[in-house]
Formats: sequence, structure tokens, C-alpha cells
Amino acid sequence: MAPYIARRLLLTVPLLIVVSFVTFLLIRLSPMDPAEVVLQAQETPQITEELLAQTREELGMNDPFLLQYANWLMSCFRLDFGESYVSGQPVWSLIGPAFANTLSLTLISSVFIIVLSTLLGVVSALREGSLADKSTRGLSFFLTAIPSYGLASVLIWLLAVKLDWLPTSGMDSAASFVLPVAVIAVNYVGIYFRTVRSSVLSNKNEEYVLYARASGLSERAVTMRILRNSLQVAVAIFGMSIPIILGSTVVIENVFAWPGLGRLSVKAILSRDFPIIQAYVLIVAVAFVVINTVSDIVNAAINPKLRSERA
Amino acid sequence: MRRKRTLARTLMTLTLSLTLIAGCSAGENAGSGNNASAGNNAGAGEASARSKTSLTYASAKDINDMNPHLYTGSMPAQGIVYESLVENTKEGIKPLLAESWDISADGKTYTFHLRQGVTFHDGEPFNAEAVKANFEAVLANGEKHAWIKLSTKIASVEAKDEYTVVLTLTDTYYPALVELSMTRPFVFISPKDFKEGGTKDGVNGFHGTGPYKLTKHEPEQHAVFEANESYWGGAPTIKTITSKVLPAGETTFLALQKGEVDFVFTDDRGADSIDIGAMNQLVESGDYQLVRSEPMNTKMIVANTSKEGNPAAETAVREAIWHAIDREAISEAIFAGTEKPADRLFSENVNYADVELSKREYDLERAKTLLDEAGWTLGAGDPVRKKNGAELAMKLYYDSNSSSQKTQAEFIQSTLSELGAKLELIGEESSSIASRRASGDYDLLFNQTWGLAYDPQSTITAFTTASSYLHATSGIEQAEELYQKIDEVMVSTDGEARKALYADIMRIVHDEAVFIPLTNGSVTVVAPAELKGIAFKQTQFELPFERMGY
Amino acid sequence: MSLWNQLSKDKWAVASMSVIGVILLAGVLAPWIAPNDPYAVQMRLRFASPSWEYWLGNDHLGRCILSRIIYGIRHSILWVLAALAASVLIGALIGFAAGYFRGRTDAVLMRICDVMLSFPGYVMMLAIVGILGPGLENILLAFIVMKWAWFARVIRTSVMQYAEMDYVRFAKAVGIRHRTILIRHMLPAALPDIAVIASGSICSMILQVSGLSFLSLGIQAPYAEWGMMLNEARAVMFSRPELMLAPGLAIVISVMAFNFLADSIQVALDPKLRTKSARRRTKEAENKAYEYVRG
Repeated sequence: MAPYIARRLLLTVPLLIVVSFVTFLLIRLSPMDPAEVVLQAQETPQITEELLAQTREELGMNDPFLLQYANWLMSCFRLDFGESYVSGQPVWSLIGPAFANTLSLTLISSVFIIVLSTLLGVVSALREGSLADKSTRGLSFFLTAIPSYGLASVLIWLLAVKLDWLPTSGMDSAASFVLPVAVIAVNYVGIYFRTVRSSVLSNKNEEYVLYARASGLSERAVTMRILRNSLQVAVAIFGMSIPIILGSTVVIENVFAWPGLGRLSVKAILSRDFPIIQAYVLIVAVAFVVINTVSDIVNAAINPKLRSERA
Repeated sequence: MRRKRTLARTLMTLTLSLTLIAGCSAGENAGSGNNASAGNNAGAGEASARSKTSLTYASAKDINDMNPHLYTGSMPAQGIVYESLVENTKEGIKPLLAESWDISADGKTYTFHLRQGVTFHDGEPFNAEAVKANFEAVLANGEKHAWIKLSTKIASVEAKDEYTVVLTLTDTYYPALVELSMTRPFVFISPKDFKEGGTKDGVNGFHGTGPYKLTKHEPEQHAVFEANESYWGGAPTIKTITSKVLPAGETTFLALQKGEVDFVFTDDRGADSIDIGAMNQLVESGDYQLVRSEPMNTKMIVANTSKEGNPAAETAVREAIWHAIDREAISEAIFAGTEKPADRLFSENVNYADVELSKREYDLERAKTLLDEAGWTLGAGDPVRKKNGAELAMKLYYDSNSSSQKTQAEFIQSTLSELGAKLELIGEESSSIASRRASGDYDLLFNQTWGLAYDPQSTITAFTTASSYLHATSGIEQAEELYQKIDEVMVSTDGEARKALYADIMRIVHDEAVFIPLTNGSVTVVAPAELKGIAFKQTQFELPFERMGY
Repeated sequence: MSLWNQLSKDKWAVASMSVIGVILLAGVLAPWIAPNDPYAVQMRLRFASPSWEYWLGNDHLGRCILSRIIYGIRHSILWVLAALAASVLIGALIGFAAGYFRGRTDAVLMRICDVMLSFPGYVMMLAIVGILGPGLENILLAFIVMKWAWFARVIRTSVMQYAEMDYVRFAKAVGIRHRTILIRHMLPAALPDIAVIASGSICSMILQVSGLSFLSLGIQAPYAEWGMMLNEARAVMFSRPELMLAPGLAIVISVMAFNFLADSIQVALDPKLRTKSARRRTKEAENKAYEYVRG
């Protein structure tokens, strides 16, 4: 196991470096001159050539490209992502708490997604072709086809306004989690449940099931075996879904006024607050890589076969 | 296994029923107004029981940096925390932190006698030294405050004794007191909050002298203001005001219906977070009242006359746009008659604005003729007019938090496209639009005049300051003349001369069609039905929360 | 084509393909079948109820909703499909190159893929929109930038399997040109996998386009797009909930149709129905479900 982890980590480090480089590059690709954007954001009255040149110098834009990157990377390590153009506050003071809020929403949603999709997947696979199976699949197609903001509006109206059970928006109490988690879960359960289902189905047709049956094991025991193998898929989903949800809570956060990364980043885009956009891309991409690595390692620990294959 | 199966079945039933409900609700909703409002009553009733002394208002933006000497903070929030020396009211300038003042005969020396016994929220005394320190902190950041002419005309600020401040100007400047009354920058923060002896690099705290103190701020979530029990004007009745950040539109509307927020008002950039229809619906439910101020400002489209390659830098194009806007339709359809069409930058009831100006009617033929004569011609089969190979295409920026601006923009876009002019619409946060206005990176943008307290003198001063309308005015032919007249009018001491100068100034920008008026806007408040004392100030940027109560 | 035969036996697949076909056709023929000009603003018809002239009523600017729905197909579906096609093409080229030439080319290309896949879809999309500004074309660009890596990977895997097959080796040995080998033998072999992934990702792409329109980062006025229409209707969802119905149903129906089609394609390639040798390939296709949401 240890060599596998070592090898996996060795792959991760260069990946992280490249990811950070791409993020750095992205902002440089902007058609706008960063110096000009900075001056604009400071509401500088008259942007002159000299002022531009001076700002470029201050921003270190005249340094060799790689040096700029290295400087930027070092400051990122210190969690220094610069200051927001709009509010003048350090980017980390805005993005740090937002990241925590998004992460908690993501983790809680993932737990629900795993539990629900495993349950539904296993049940409909074991009863393949039954009415329950068919209707669950049909329903899943329907639910995954609803735009999440539409579903969110209806749920808020129904459960928060009409029935007065839950808050409409914000992140004030545990009850605030219910609706956003429900909407995220509905969207993703429909997808992951099918993954679990097809995994159970293909397990059902594996040779070991035939052998087990042939050797006289009870149907119950056979089922347990199938389930145990299928659970590996559930674990894999867990690892994959966290980073994906982390990146895609944007819409949900904006509907529910969730003080997270998605809301922050959309506001930043609409106010051309580039330091925040850059920090957002970097942080989520790094989280994505790290979580993927961890989940690969966990998967390998559960399923030794993967160790040799994947490395 | 058995249990699992039941659970799965329960889940399936649950999801299924949810979908059914979701499906039905859309249809059911139309007819069931009663039903919905019954739910609301419960929500709002509960809200009022628990919060007889509190208000929670929704805002699309965070209160941001509350430093009163910079411009990123929310003005309504700054308005209840900080105070100025004098106050601008309907009846003229009234005392606030200064109890009285004397103006020297040459109009250059102002002696303020400060209110005694006032303290900042941190217990520091408000005295002449504090006033001096604050003025100096503002002046140390001169460039930022250039839009407020007074900041360029202060020769010295002296603390004569504990409660007397002498302000000496370089010139006679008639709007001095008006500018001292503004929400920022000449307001006072405890000198203890200064960073490195000033405020331009930030402050350590937000202690003003106002009726409310900021007690809690979760960025991008909410901010809580508690009543200042030792407020010199008496403790306000509303004890807690919470500012909650909510996206404009349905999220805010739903929160209002539920009673999670119970107050919304037109924000400092003139955007309403819910549209007229939604407001009316809330009022119909019986839980809310809608209070609208008298018209306060003129909503308009500002053209950038100094940007190269901007077709709207040409007078004829601006005039054509002016003629192409059906203000009646905007007023009737988009604002349901609540805002009246505006034909001029300053309506006649604004000081000095009772000037004869030609009226530009909604007239598409006229607009076409103007464009044709200016050389913007429509080639056969072309959708867009061209002149010397350049397309008649412009970018119009609007506040993404304002649904009415978006609708107006789309409406204007469609009329202009009939004329062969292409308008690209770009929605951005208001801060971004402000920075575009300052740097001149726009063709056209939505804006509004600054309101009763500021019109016309400050708005006109802003024609000359880069952070405001310099880019909009500097491209016109008579720009030099305009700026000269503006300089003259501000230092003029003779009433008649001043009137004539203002008339000239207004005529120049009107003839050049720099500011294309749309409607006369007012401040709208949606508040709990039982809230009393809802009033307005002479400025659209603040609300007198301290006068409200249940 | 066996995939085609499989699908034509599946009644769900046939139904969903017909729905998709009708939608696509309507989108292509929009100028001829739309009853009105989708951009004609008539303020006096603001929020008008359905009438004989305007079957689905009028929107907040008095424009014909039905015509906008029909024109919306172009932006909501056709352009998304075009972006998908572009990324399949790029992915196929790179995947073939990597799988066929192996060695350094393969290593370099696959590392690039790894990097691209390290950026979650939505984040990359926000990054591109954040830098280039809101607009459908930038979102489509983001799709292409993000998606090709998936196709490249899958195609590489299948190419590598077939490259070792005897007839390909033979073709190489007798000196048939690379291009001919690729087009004649490898392309058909990789098609089923491409179909699975493409049909799977189209759903998420349609929803993402509408989601970004909802955040006002998507298509800009006056063009019609379902997500934007839904968002505009959402502003009056309490006074005129019926306005949400048309664009909402349009999205739900088309995404469901693509969902069913994707599922049918997957079933058609199901390991149970195929020989064991084909199973490895399908394993790769299983990733589709994950990719689907990655965007």
C-alpha cells in the first residue's frame, strides 16, 4: 500500500504545479490589461500611459514571465491572493469563509447522495425490470432533466413560504441546509443511482456469482456478495462526487443566497474582480486534485486490484 | 433487506409526491392568491411579534467597507452610523453635529459651534480636534474626493477651542454647506479608529456618532446595527436593524413573503430588488405597505462622448437615441405608471432648472433622418447602419441587480435595431459600472442624477470630475465653455448671474444630448404594514430609520 | 451498424430519437415555422395571455413566446451540439494520435488531458466567462476546451486495443497510409464509445447553458434561449406562473429525451449482451456516468 500511495502522491505534485500554472496563465490571457483593470477598479480618473507603466511595474508585470509565476505561487502559499478590486479586502478573507461554507454544503449533500443512490441503485438492480425499477429509472431521468434553479424555486415556494417549515435562503441554522441539500441531491442521485445500478447488474452476471450459485450458496448470501462488491462503486462515487459538487454549487448558491464560493465567484465575474476569480479557480482546482488523489488512495485500499492497474 | 426495501419504497413515494406537488403547484398558484396570503399572514405575524423593535432589510450588496471616507461602503448603512456637521432638509440646511455656524462676509470662513456632549460609539468625545482630524484624513486623499468641489477649496481647518471649528476656504463657494451635509466624505469617525493617523488606508473600527452602531458583520451574509442608546438626539425606537444580503428578485420576494426580511428599499445605485408587480402583490397581501418618495432624481442613459470609436460620441447619434426611446411605454408598461417620463436631465422643480429647453419627442422618423444626415446609412439588405465602414454598434451597460433596467435596455435595444443601430447589452454589478464610468470604458450606461440634495450643483460639478461624468462631457464641442461656466457658477455670489450660468450649462448638455433622460425616479420602501414614521431624506442614498417605529 | 440495429429495437430509444429529431428539425427550420418574429417587441402585449396569433402568449416585452421557444432551440440545443461535435473532433484527433503513435506523443498528450481533467467543468466555465465576459459563445468555447480531453482519453483506449489487432498490424505492415488505417478501421471501432459519452454529456451541457443564463452569464439579449426565458419567467413566477411552463417543459423534455437516448445507447452496449472481449471497452464507457456531471 505504501508504495502505491507514494507513487500516487508523486503524480499529484506535478499536476498541482501545472494546474496552478494554467490558472496563472488564464488571467494573463484576459484581453484586458491587468494594470488597466486595477486602475479602473480604483476608479482612477485619468488613465495615462505613465500611470499604466507605473502600475505595471508595481504589479511586477515587467519581470520575466516565470519569475512572475514563481512570485505569484509563493504568495498563494501564504494565502495571499491579493486584494479584491471592489471591496479592497484581502481575497483570502472573503474566499476562506466562503470555501468553508461551500465545503460543508458539498459534504452533507454527498452523504445524502451516496446513501440514496446506493439504496435506490441496489434495489432497482436486484429487482431489475420490475415496476419499481422502471419507475425509479424514469423518475431519475425526469428529475435530472429539471434545471436545478427551477426545482429550487418550487421547493422554496412550497416548503418555505407555503408550509412555513424551512427558511427560504441564507445559512443561519441547520434548517437552512435542508433545501439546498435536497436540490443538489435530487440532481445527482438521478445520475449516480444509475451507476450503482449498472454496477450491481454487471456484478450479477459475473462468473463468481454463477460459481457461488452452483456451489449451493443461499440466494441471500449471493446477494450479500454482490452488494459488497457493488459498495466499492459507492465509495468511488463518493470520491468523485465531492469535487464535482464543489464546483457546481454555483447555481444553487445563487438561488439560496448561500454565502459560498459559487455566489462569490459569480459576483466577482459580474464586477470584474479578477483576483477573486483567479483565487476561486485555483482553490477549487487544487481541492479537486487533492480530493481525487485521496479518493484514489482510499479506493485502492479497499480494492487491491486497482493498485497495480492505476499506478 | 426487508427494511431496505421499505425505505426505498418510502423514498420513491416521497420523490414521486414531491414531483406531483411541484407539477400541480404551478397551476394551482394562479388561482390561489388567498391561500398564499394566509400562509404569509402567519409568517409576518410571527415576525412582527418577535420583532416589534427590529427591522431586517434585504440588499443585493453587502454593506462592504464602512469606512466613511472611501466609496465602497453601502450609503444607507453609512448614513445611520455616521453624521455630518449639518443636515440638508426640505427647509434648507439645518444643524446636526454643528449647533450653529457663522459665515464671514466674504463667504470664505465658516465657524462651526459644535454640539456638546456628543460621543463616538467607542466613547471618544466628539470635539473640534476630532473634526479637524477627520477633515485632514479626507483631504489627505484628495484625488478620491475631487468630485466634491469643496474638498479642493479648503485652505485650513482649525480647532479654535474644544467646541469651535474654523473652516477657511480658498474661494467663496456657495454650495459649501450642502456638500458638508452629504453622506460622505465629510462625516466623522472616531479618531481612535484611524490607521497610521489617517483613513485612506483603511480604519480599525467603524465608530461614528449616529443613531445606530455596527455590532456584527458577516461579509456577504448580514450586518447588524444596534440602536445607540446614548444618541444625542434620543435613542431610536427601532432597536435592531439587520442588513441581509439576498440576490435581487425571487429570493428577496420569497424572503419577504415569509417574513425573514420585512423591509426593502431602492438601493444607493437606484436599483429596486423586486419589481413593481411583486411589490404590489406584497401590498395586496395586507402585510406590507408601499411608500414612495416624491420624484427625487432623473434616471438616464449616459453617453460617452470622449471615447474614440463610440458612435454615441456623435451628437446626431445621441439625439437619434433620445428620439427613439418611447418613454410613455416605459413609464406605463415597465413602471406601471409609478415613474413618470422625463424629458430633461433636471426636471423643472429642481433649483435653477426652470429653463426653457427644446423637447425631443419619441419620433422614429426624426431619428432616422438624424442618422441619415449624419452619414450613418443603411445599405441595401444590411441590418446595421454604417459610416466609413464602421457599424453603428454600441455597448450599453446596466446594473445586473435591477430588473427594470434590463427590461428597459431590451426595449430600447429592439427599437434601435429597427432604426439600424445595434445595441449590445451587458449586465454588471453596480461597482463595475461605477468603475467604467470613472475610467471611460463604456459607450452608454444607465445612471441617475444624484437626487434633490445634490441636484443640480453636485451633479453638475460631477460633469467635470473624472470619477463621474468627465468622460461623458469632455467630448462635446463646447466642453471648454461648459467647464468654465461650471467653475464660475460654483464661486458666483450673485443670484441672477448664477441662474444665467446654470441655464447655459443645462442648455449645453441638453442640446448635445449627453444625458438621455428616461424617467423620474423616486425612492420606494416596502415595509411591514404596521411600521410608522416612514419618511425620506433629501437624498436618495439614506433613509431616516431612527424616526421609524411600530 | 449494430448499434443502430440495437437502438431501433428499443421503443424508448426510438421515441426519444423521434423527439430529438423533431426538436432539431424545428430548430433548423425556425425561420419558416415560427409564427411570429421572435424579436418583435410590443409593449402593449406585455404578458398577454395566449391568443390565436400568439399561441403561448407574450413575454415581458410582448414578444411571441412560441416563436422564441422555437428559435431558442438553436441556442439551447443546436449550438450545444455543435460545440459537442467540435470537442469530439478535437478529442478524436488527439486520441487517435496518442493511441496510434504511442510513445512520447502519447505521454505528452495524455498529461495534457490529465491537466484539463483536473479542472472541474463549472469552474473552468466560470473562469473563461470571467475572463472573456458573459456570452453563449464563451460558454461554448469553455465546453470545447473542457470536453475534448474526455473524448481523447476514451478514443485513445479503444484505438490502442485495435491497434494490436491483426488486420491493423497487417495493414501497417503492407504500408497502407496512416490516415486510411485510422479512417477505415479505427474510427468505426471507436464510434460506440463516442456515442455513449457524447449522448451522456449533452444533457449536462444543455442544463449548464441554461444554468449560466440563469446567472446572467449566458446568452445576451435579445437572443432567445430557454434558460434565459425561464429566468425571465421566474421573475414573475408568482403573478404569472404559466410563463415558466413553456421554457421549463422545453428543457425538461429535451433533456429527458437525451437522457433516454443515452441510456439506450448504454444498454445497447451493455456487457451482458456482448461478448467478453468487448467488456473492457464498456468499462471505459462506464466512466460516462461520472463524466456526465463533470461538465
